Amino acid sequence: MPIIKLDATDSTNAYLKRLIASNVSQDFTVVVARNQLKGRGQMGTHWISEEGKNLTFSVLKKNKDLSTDDSFLLNIIVSLAIVDSLKGFQVPDLKIKWPNDILSGTSKICGILIENIISGNKIKASIIGIGLNTNQTIFHNVPKASSLKLLLGKTLDLDELLKELLNSLESIFQDVQKKGSEELWEAYGEILFRKDKPSTFQDSNKKKIMGFIRGVSAEGKLIIELEDNVKKEFGFKEVTLLY
Amino acid sequence: MDIKEIQSLIKFVAKSGASEVKLETDDIKITIRTGAVGSGSDTTYVQQIPVPQTPLAPIPQAPAETPALSPEASTKESQEDDAKYITIKSPIIGTFYRKPSPDKPAFVEVGSSISKGDVLCVIEAMKLFNDIESEVSGKIVKVLVEDSSPVEFDQPLFLVDPS
Repeated sequence: MPIIKLDATDSTNAYLKRLIASNVSQDFTVVVARNQLKGRGQMGTHWISEEGKNLTFSVLKKNKDLSTDDSFLLNIIVSLAIVDSLKGFQVPDLKIKWPNDILSGTSKICGILIENIISGNKIKASIIGIGLNTNQTIFHNVPKASSLKLLLGKTLDLDELLKELLNSLESIFQDVQKKGSEELWEAYGEILFRKDKPSTFQDSNKKKIMGFIRGVSAEGKLIIELEDNVKKEFGFKEVTLLY
Repeated sequence: MDIKEIQSLIKFVAKSGASEVKLETDDIKITIRTGAVGSGSDTTYVQQIPVPQTPLAPIPQAPAETPALSPEASTKESQEDDAKYITIKSPIIGTFYRKPSPDKPAFVEVGSSISKGDVLCVIEAMKLFNDIESEVSGKIVKVLVEDSSPVEFDQPLFLVDPS
């Protein structure tokens, strides 16, 4: 597992992509940056992190035979790996907010940005970007953000944290090879934020709807049970959970 | 109301300059919102900062070797010409993006030469960002989908001239 440590870069995902283009990348290459100058979230959004205080890194996973039909499994593997390793640091009340935000209580502590390289119907490689709020204690204009330091009351060693995260990521990928993914889908469904609790959502027409999260479909759509016991599946931009 | 009628209705609304039209009949209810100035941020499927939209129809670059692109060409003629092109289809359901990020240029334009393995577009699905690589080499003849719009599985995205 080669680990490339950078003082600063635009984004670790972008760096890894350039590395792939130059053909010198092996499976599980890791890029970690002290300072990410142009960290990215969803299309057009940013991931802003105070220099040297948080863990921002990307992992290259070359897939042998992963069909595009199974792409949501990547969200499951990566979120569960993060939850597993954070449990080891006694982070309280860990939940996954669908599809892949990691929360402690109701505060977001970790974001995931996965980019896949698809050829035909196969996912050749995945670039797994992870931003974990670690020792930063002030978050401007992001009221729902928190960090491990705020939650645990102590400063964490970034290298140690990285080591734990990579270990759980590697072992979950190995488990999938050996045992398949059924247990992971189950575990993911169980740990979903606001599962089986009455929740309010906003649909794409800004209309508010009430329902219960019951799980995810094979495509990764969120299954919400609405009034009259009707279950409906929603895609990522079709519904927003209000909390 | 069939797909053709809906399509022409959408075109009509787009041309009219109206920002929103609601239509309700016995069996169908349609809301059409356009990306008109000032209402761009309300457009349902666009989640990022509005960027200049690329037009739906490919801009005729009119290089000598692609006469089929000239707007005067009859439909029949262009259909015959299309047969020699390869259609690149969407491998997944998601949102189609022509650029790696809103402030970057498009991966490919009409007339771009592409090689096998080149990234043609990004399709976002369930917060996974998928770079779609070309399986063929050639030249982009048409871009069939507008930036930031939803695409279905197997929906044609690009026409490529392999010669």
